[in-house]
Amino acid sequence: MRIVLIVTAAILLTGCRKPASSIHVTETRRLTLHDKVYPGDYKDAPPIGWRRLPGTQFRLINYVAGENDTVEIVVGETQGELLANANRWLGQFGLSPVQSLEFLGRTEMLGKNAYLVEGDGTYSPGMGRPPKKGYAMTGVIRESSSNLITLKMIGPAEEVKKQRDAFFEYMRSFEAIYDHKIKSSNGEVKIETGEGAE
Amino acid sequence: MPRKFKEMSLGQRIFRIAAGFEIAVVCLCLLFLLTFFGTIEQRWFGLWTTIHKYFDYNSIFVLPERGDGKVIFFPLPGAYWVIVVLSINMFLGGIVRARKGWRKAGVLVSHFAILFMLVAGAVSSVYKEEGNMRVLQGEKSDYAQKLFKHDIEVFAFDEEGNREKPAIIRSEIIKALGKERKLEASFEKFDFKLKIDRYLPYSELALDSPTTQRPNNEEVVDGFLLVEVDKDTKTEERNMPGCYVSIKDENDDLIQRLVLWAGNPYPVTFTHEGKRYGVTYLMEIWPMPFEVELHKTFGENHPGTEIPSWFQSNIVKVDGPDRADYEIVMNEPARHGGYTLYQAGFTRAAEGETPSSTFAVVNNPSDKWPEYALWASAAGLLFHFMAMLVRFIGGSAKKGRSQAPVPNKPSIYRKS
Repeated sequence: MRIVLIVTAAILLTGCRKPASSIHVTETRRLTLHDKVYPGDYKDAPPIGWRRLPGTQFRLINYVAGENDTVEIVVGETQGELLANANRWLGQFGLSPVQSLEFLGRTEMLGKNAYLVEGDGTYSPGMGRPPKKGYAMTGVIRESSSNLITLKMIGPAEEVKKQRDAFFEYMRSFEAIYDHKIKSSNGEVKIETGEGAE
Repeated sequence: MPRKFKEMSLGQRIFRIAAGFEIAVVCLCLLFLLTFFGTIEQRWFGLWTTIHKYFDYNSIFVLPERGDGKVIFFPLPGAYWVIVVLSINMFLGGIVRARKGWRKAGVLVSHFAILFMLVAGAVSSVYKEEGNMRVLQGEKSDYAQKLFKHDIEVFAFDEEGNREKPAIIRSEIIKALGKERKLEASFEKFDFKLKIDRYLPYSELALDSPTTQRPNNEEVVDGFLLVEVDKDTKTEERNMPGCYVSIKDENDDLIQRLVLWAGNPYPVTFTHEGKRYGVTYLMEIWPMPFEVELHKTFGENHPGTEIPSWFQSNIVKVDGPDRADYEIVMNEPARHGGYTLYQAGFTRAAEGETPSSTFAVVNNPSDKWPEYALWASAAGLLFHFMAMLVRFIGGSAKKGRSQAPVPNKPSIYRKS
């Protein structure tokens, strides 16, 4: 009887061991299509110094860069008129709206026309946050048949200036990914809807 | 003539009790009660939570609860262990103790088949893997995700921005931390460490702003903070864990502070010695040995509801050079290489969107065992009843012959 009690107690105590406080991770897994999933099916290649943060409802891709991570680089999708969006951005710096897209610089993003929106001054981020003086913005809004794709960099003017080349290099890095689409017998990718069809 | 219980030795008594009908009856009654309370309870607490509470092998005892959180003080043993006892009882009573011989062969086979079905349940409970695979029409997938397990994956990016193979910290290790404990993980393939110093099993990720409430004075990292929320008891997969982690170098110097949340589908990143790394906290990725191409999904909902009345997916399973067409409809899954794909749902497409199917993927070594057990049980009972029928007919005929009226003697019938 005593032996039975001792064995039972030993089993129960074994089950009460403390969880590990340090582990050595060796486990890995093979890559799957999950590892090739990108927001909006666009793969990006940011510069080494940029650091990605969690996304939000309006920020599909969210980076910080520069000294003390003071520069924000945000990729988003939005609806509405391209001009209205450009003027909203300018309004955040207290700048006058432009009357037409002709007043904006032109560039190209993902094979489509895109417009440059730039400004500096006092930035009013909204959402109850205080205005920030000496800030600058470099932004790009890409034309699209459905949603507009926006890419915007905001931060202290000096830091934004330092990141400007990296910003445009990043803009050019975007690449549509079709790995998860079904290929038809002639090797073409079947596209149902969305931006990937372009 | 069976011996009286008092005349038996201790071992014989134990065997008699363990193999007795009494235990079988008690077990069946307990299973009825467990199923009854579980069925009622799942209305409030959801199917997943209730199944695990009542049927998991970790559940030694169960206290049924009501929807208002009040406990019904009617302690019941966990269903898993009741079934274990019933299995032992059936083995001892239905096979070891049962009479042997050709006459009882059918019954023995049936008992064995039922026992085999119970074993299949145990094997399934321990070894079954299941996950969900969501595929958009016109797309393909080669992985499922386990809805109730959240792993932390750490990986490097190559020069083209592609992910390399991730190192995985499993959910069981993270869950075991609770809210107070800390964990330091070193990696075989990286020269930095990841330290989890606050884990919240049920949380939301909030953006910090002047109006954001900060319960428990929660830390803000990169403008984000975790907010602890109540557990969603009805839909377990909506519960999202989160944690704060520090990435440290070999000298224990901080490389980066990060906030991880399982609802964030994309990685957060940091740079170490000129290389970019990503960290995700996500539902466990379960790689499949084949690809599923969803060519067409369609279905209908019951009128005025979002509950599907039927749905169908036309898929192509791609396994290396082999391609095979399947039509998956309700209760008619596709099976391949030990994996079973049931359609668990479909989403109609709003304008400009693409419809999708969600498949429940199950890998269960005992998947077909209950079916084999049912066939064996049916065959055993058929054999037994046929043998009884033959004996009955043969016996009746014999009896009939022996009672047949003797010539020149009046029969009983005639006599009456």
